[in-house]
This record gives sequence, C-alpha cells and structure tokens, in this order.
Amino acid sequence: MRATRVIKLTAVYALLFAGGAITVLPFVWMALTSLQPRRAAIASPLDLLDSESWSLGNYEFILTFPELPIVRMALNSVFVTLCVVLFQLAICSLAAYAFARLRFRGRDALFILVTLTMMVPTVVMIVPLFITVERMGLLDTYAGLIFPYPYLSTAFGIFLLRQHFMSIPRSLDEAAELDGCSKLRILWHVILPSSRPALATLAAFGFIWTWTEFYWPLLATSTREMRTLEVGLSMFKESYGGTNWPIQMAAAVIVLLPALAFFLALQKYFVKGVVQSGLKG
Amino acid sequence: MKTARPMSVAGYLFVGPAMLYLGVFTLLPMVVAAYLSVHRWHLLKPDRPFVGWDNYRRLLEDPFFVNAIRNTVVFTALSVPLGIAIALAAAVLLNRGLPGIRVFRTIFYVPSVCSQVALSMIWIWVTLPHVGFVNWLVGSANALLGTSFATDVNYLQRFPMISVVLLFIWNGLGPRMVIFLAGLQNIPETLYEAARVDGASGWQRFRYVTLPLLMPTTFFIVVTTTIAALQIFTPIYVMTQGGPNRATDVVVFHIYKEAWHKFHIGQASAMSYVLFSIILTISLLQFWAMKRRSDMIAESA
Amino acid sequence: MRSEFERRHPGVRIQIENIPGEGQYVPKLLMMFVAKKAPDVMHLDASYASVFIDNDLLLDLTPEIKSDDSFRLDDYFTNVVDVARRGDKLFAIPLDFTPIVLYYNKRLFDEAKVAYPAKGWNCDDFLAKAKALTIDNHKEPGKKQYGMHFINWMPLWIPWVWTEGGDVLSPDGRHAEGYFDSDKTIRAVEFLASLITKYHVAPTHSEAAAAGVDLFRAGRAAMHIAGHWMIIDYRSDGIDFGVAMLPTNAASPKTVVYESGLAINRSTKKRELAWEYVKFMTSAEVQKVRVSGGLAISAQKEVAQYYASDEQERTFLNAVEFASGPWGARVEPYAVVEDLGREMMEDIVNGTPVPDAVHKTCRLIDLELSQQ
Repeated sequence: MRATRVIKLTAVYALLFAGGAITVLPFVWMALTSLQPRRAAIASPLDLLDSESWSLGNYEFILTFPELPIVRMALNSVFVTLCVVLFQLAICSLAAYAFARLRFRGRDALFILVTLTMMVPTVVMIVPLFITVERMGLLDTYAGLIFPYPYLSTAFGIFLLRQHFMSIPRSLDEAAELDGCSKLRILWHVILPSSRPALATLAAFGFIWTWTEFYWPLLATSTREMRTLEVGLSMFKESYGGTNWPIQMAAAVIVLLPALAFFLALQKYFVKGVVQSGLKG
Repeated sequence: MKTARPMSVAGYLFVGPAMLYLGVFTLLPMVVAAYLSVHRWHLLKPDRPFVGWDNYRRLLEDPFFVNAIRNTVVFTALSVPLGIAIALAAAVLLNRGLPGIRVFRTIFYVPSVCSQVALSMIWIWVTLPHVGFVNWLVGSANALLGTSFATDVNYLQRFPMISVVLLFIWNGLGPRMVIFLAGLQNIPETLYEAARVDGASGWQRFRYVTLPLLMPTTFFIVVTTTIAALQIFTPIYVMTQGGPNRATDVVVFHIYKEAWHKFHIGQASAMSYVLFSIILTISLLQFWAMKRRSDMIAESA
Repeated sequence: MRSEFERRHPGVRIQIENIPGEGQYVPKLLMMFVAKKAPDVMHLDASYASVFIDNDLLLDLTPEIKSDDSFRLDDYFTNVVDVARRGDKLFAIPLDFTPIVLYYNKRLFDEAKVAYPAKGWNCDDFLAKAKALTIDNHKEPGKKQYGMHFINWMPLWIPWVWTEGGDVLSPDGRHAEGYFDSDKTIRAVEFLASLITKYHVAPTHSEAAAAGVDLFRAGRAAMHIAGHWMIIDYRSDGIDFGVAMLPTNAASPKTVVYESGLAINRSTKKRELAWEYVKFMTSAEVQKVRVSGGLAISAQKEVAQYYASDEQERTFLNAVEFASGPWGARVEPYAVVEDLGREMMEDIVNGTPVPDAVHKTCRLIDLELSQQ
C-alpha cells in the first residue's frame, strides 16, 4: 500500500514537472533573450546562457525612451483594466443570479440571446462599434476606452457565473430567504461568498483580456497620453522590428510582469471556495 | 402562483444592466453588421447599393473562403478535444493537497496572462531552426545520444497547423484548468468515500463520480473553447499570416483581410454572419446534447 | 520641430498622433476619415497612397503651390514628387524617400577575391558573383555563407521584374493579364527563384528565419536588397559595405522608389495653416534636422546633395533618376496584390513550376482588380 503510494506520487510529480517544464521554458527563453544586447546577432542558443552577455540595457532603453510616457501609459492600463473588471463583475453577477435563481418571463430566451453575443467575431464588430462610440462623442476619452471593452467577455462572464451559481445548493438561499433577506442581500451574503473561485476566474479573464487588448485602444485613442501600455510598447516592436528578438522580448516582459503580479494576488481565491466548508458546516 | 409577479420584476431588474449594456455595445453593432452584409459597402465609396444575398452567394463561389472554413473546422476539431483533455488532466493532478502544488498551478497559468501577440512572438522565436529552443533541444539530444536528427527544421513552416493548435492549447490551459479545479472542488468528498467503500478503483471513481458531476463545468468549457477556437485570429496574424500556402488561412483572418486590405466591409460582414451561423449551429448542437444527457441522467435516477 | 512651428504661429497647437505599425496606420486613419475625425495633415507613404488619393480624401495641392511664391516644387526630386501625382494634380509634398538598392559586404567580396559590382552590370554578372560568394560550412551547417540574402517581400523584389522589362499591371493599372504573365516577368521570377532552388546562393525562407537576424548584417550574406533605412544599422555595426544599383538586363537600370510625404485632408477647416505646416516640415531648414539622424534621404535636392560627398549616399541619389514609384501609389487594392505575390513566391520555392504559379497568380490579381 505504501509502496504503490510512493510510486503514484512519483508519477504525479514527474508528470507535473514535465508539463511545467514544457509550459514555462519558452518564458525562460524569452527572459534570457531580453537580457541580450539590442543589436546582438544570436548565432547559437548557448549564447543566451552566457551570463557575461546579460544586461538590463533593453529595459533601460525602453523605459527611458523619450516621447514615450511609459508611467502614464501603465497607469492608463491599470485604471482602464480595473474599471472594466469591476464593472464586469457587477453586471455579470447580477444577471447570472437572475438567470440561475429567479423566474421571469422570457428568461431562457434572454439567456440564449446573451450567449449569442459571444459568437460574433470581433473583427467585424469593430467598424459598427467605432461608429457607435464616435456618435456618442466618446473617442479619446476614458469612457470610450473603457465601456466597449467588456463586450468581449460580458456574455462569457454571465455564462460562467450562472453555471457556478447553479451548482450552489439551493438550501443555502432558502435558509436566508426564511430569515427575510432580500434578493440583493442573498446574492451579496450567500451566493457571492460561495463563488470566489468563479469570481476570481472572471476577474482574471477580464484583466488579461483588457490588459492585452491592442485593437480597440488603438482605435479609440488619439493622444499619446491616452494610450495603454500594450499600444505604447507596440511602437517599439514595430520600429525595432521583426527580427530584433532582444527588444521584442524585453517589451513582452514589461507587459507580462504586471499581469503576472495581478494573477498571483488573485491566486489564493482560485481554489478552496466556501462551498465545501458551507456544505460541511 | 402568488409569487409570480414580484419574482418577474426582480428578474428584470437584475438582468437589466447587463441587457442594456449588451444591447448598446453588442446587439446594436450586430444589427448594423447585418445591414452591412446585404449592401455593397466599401469603407470609403459613397455609393453603397443594396445587393440582397449577393455577398453571401459570392462567398460560396470563393474557393479561398471555402478553404478558410475548412481550415477553421480542422483547427477546432484538433484543438478543442486536446485542449480540454490536457486541462482536465492538469486539474486532476493539481487537485491534491500535495506540497508545492501551488507553484505548478502558477506555472500552468503563466501562458494565459501573456498577450497572444507576445506569446506568438515567443513561439516563433522558440521554433526557429538552429537558434530556436526546440532545435537546440534536438541538437543537445544528438550530442548526448549520438543521434543525428535534423536541427534546421522550421517547425512553424513545416507544421503550421499543429503549431497554431499547440499555441492555442498552451495559451488557454490556465483558465480552463482553473475552471475545472473550481468544479472539482465542488464535488463533495463524501461521494468519493462512498465509492471507495464500494471498492471502486481510481479510474472508476473518476469515470463514475468525477466526470458526471463535472458535467456542467465541462459543458461550459466545451462551449466557450469551441467558440474561441472558431474565432482564432491573433496567432495566425502574427505567426503565419495564413500561410504557407493558405494552410492556416482561417475564417477570421480571411475576414480581416477582406475588411482591411480590400475595405469590402459589406462582404466581410457577410463572412462574419456565415461564421456566426456555423458557431451558432455547433453551439446549439452542444446545448441539445447536454440537455439530452441530463434528461437521460434524470430518467435513470 | 513642432514647437518651433508653434512658436512662429502664436495660438496654434499641433497635436501629433503616432500610430504604431504600418499595418495599423491605414485602417486607423481610414476609420478617422469615416468618423470625420481625420487630422488636417497626415503622412502619406507611397506604398498605400492610392487608397487615400483615389478615394478623394486628400486636397489637390496645385492651387496652393501656384499661389505661393515662397514655395518651389523644383527644389524637390521630380521622380519623387511624381509618386503622389495624378495628371496635373498633386496630393502630397515629399519629405523623404529611398530607392531600393543593392548592399554588398566588401570584406566578403575581398575574401572571395570577387570584384565589386560595376556600373551597368547584368544578371549573369550578379549570378557569377553570388555563386563565388556562397560558401558551405560543413562543420557547422547553420553557418553557411550566402551570396545574397533574399526576403520574400514583394516591395523588395519588384525591381527584379522591372529590370527584366516585365511588370505587374498594365500601364493604366486596370489588369495584370499580358503583363504579370508576360515572358519577361516569368523570366525574372524564374531567375529569382533559381537563386534559391537551383543555385542555392540565397537562403530559403526557413534558412533565413533560422538566422534570427538579418543575414547580411551578421556577415553571412554578401549581398542584400534593401532601402536606405538599413544604412544606420550597418554603419553602427561597423560593416564595411558598398551600395550599388541592382543588376539589369534592360537598356538602363531600373528600381522602385518609396517616398513618404505630407498630405492635407480634403475637408480640413484650416487650409491655409495646414499648407503652412506642410511647407514648414518639408522646407530645407527642417529637412536638414530631420535627416541628420541618417535614416532617410531628404526629398529636398539641396539637403540631399549636402550628403553626396559620401560614396554610398551618392549611389542612392544617382538611383533616383532610374526610379519610379510603386504600384501601391496608383492602384488601390495593391496590398492584396503584394500578398498574392508573396504567396506565389512561396509556392515556387516549395516546388510549383514558375509558369503555372505565375499564370494562377495573374488570374487571381485580375479577379481582385475586377471586384473594385
């Protein structure tokens, strides 16, 4: 019994290590490349491992580039992303709660309509969306930058949360209802606390989608001061071009790090929801 | 039904904000796109006549569009089952209280916090002949084992479709895995204990406890992954530009070229509606299969 | 530069919008036109100028030029100015330009004891040199030296078609049949493809990608076709290089010139000010500062001549005489044609016989043009 357990554990770790290596090695490769001098001609992969050639020169070059207000752009990205995530969490959880728990005429039809909006290719939405935002006079404003974003994922969010809310035992809200709680209070005090993993997942999705979106912020903004990090940095990728791998990779690392930090901060919510303890207690 | 009326009002109030939002920013543009799709609507030409089904009819005669649909279907058929199986396997492996498990959870999520543009750049860089990581591994293996496998393979050129599929799976692994994990953690431990008492093996517990109870989660992942796969664009745009030989020219990339190289917005909208119908049909089939399944389970129970 | 203009025109503020990436520039600018939010003055590149000119988005500058005594069009290179011309109308004043030329690495030529490209050399001379400069390195298969670095990007290989006497489209730009599938074009494409597939003096797409860097810059390709934009990098790398016209089989050498100019929005509300700004930015005074970085060649003859003492720069200036603008300046969906050209070359390198590939592509180009 003990022996099989050891073998099993070894197998699990072996698999995890193999999968982890495949997943993460390209990023190690990326980080190593970003440390190479800007004009380096990389002849052999082994050059990357030579710690003598490492330097932070590319980062310094990008971060101190004149005409590129990188701090302002990073703040724009943070502000826009947080607004989108909060807005989305709010409207999605309200709607998902109604779809999962409340009865009203046309509910299923409305839900199907919501999922339909997920199926429209975004490429072609850009033109009508741009015209809509322009008519509202919101071009080059934070509102114009923020509001159209969640269309990428509102339907996804409602769908995700609805599926999750449906798996929460009804006995929990029935108990609250007997105590005389309003619907809103049930959502806030019973459903949402039991759904942290799903909410964290949606927040992570919303964050990544917004943080890395390129096309919409490019169209919606004109002044440099309104640009987001992803758009701002792509100027480098273009001017320092296709095969200048060190610069490309350094720019990618700069966009990646904040997103990674956000993910790590959320990570503790991803698992161990209150559902289990709720069931047991 | 005394409670029917107050229930109704509450329901509308709760879905109201989301509906209003989707109405303005998604449904309205959708309607506009439908309007565009029946007009010859060039971005810059003032003359935009109504052409009825003409844009749609022309698509059926366009061999490149048919090719794009075929590529999209192949891509989806390859990437969805594989992507989901890998994510589920990862979730099951990580759903244990083993030491160090959090580190792996983080590692598996890293590709998902990266923009698709950056990921695609990394992917190109890693698959380059000679200097790329993959070829370097092969070279190292050669040196170690005395073999002589080629190290000048441009994997992206040689296996374009497989490359894009792998990128898609790699990129989406984290979120799918986390959603599966959340689902797994909702399964009460008592059920596993009962199965163990009945003498069920590990595989049997997975097959008869985990899989059925994970169904709502799996369903969600199948539907959303399929939709994402049918709309694959960025990796194609960055890595292959639809090539070589249009082998990776998928529908959304085709639409992009129609809209932004030729400015035929009407034609591009028609293409979008064709893709939309395909996605809709597949999703409806999935919803139907799911419903049938849960009905069967309800009957047998 | 902008602040200098603002200083001279009190009360005027210039707002600059940078758009990252050429692939994004055209869509973004077009959307701004659709929303009637387009800027008063904009950059116009030869490679896509037609999209803006032929959709009546730009102001014809001839009245401005005629009524302004302080402006002389003769100060600019005529061939460069004409890129944005339609008959007697002119839609942009050029800022800078580059003809496509051939760079060669003098060190590699010397090592292989090959003479530098001479004036009026032809494709046979080129091939002989390329062969002599190709050195297989069997010990390290990844380090082969090539005679020429080939990039499958139609804007760079179109001059080869022209020097053979072929072309892509009919003079009126309406159709490809009879031009793209002419014997001369086929011969040019065959020659280009043979460099890769038959003589192996140029790398295949994968071999080139393998280097991860410009092979010429890495000292592993002896010749390279490119524009002036590479010169800064090559100089800062300390490469000992020369610049020559492309070889030609026609009576006189030919090449393509890519220019970038300033154009004015047709529906601008500040017509006079916009013209002042265009005039200011393209003036010799500003151009001197602009080109001092070395990236581009000024379209102002006086400014450009200032650098002519340099042998490499002189070749670029001499090339202007034999250069004409790209089709993209005259035919609207040319980006599509260039995509088709790239795909065709890909097919050929992968084994499709040249005549088949050319005829197929020719039909596809005509199909695209007929849909406009």
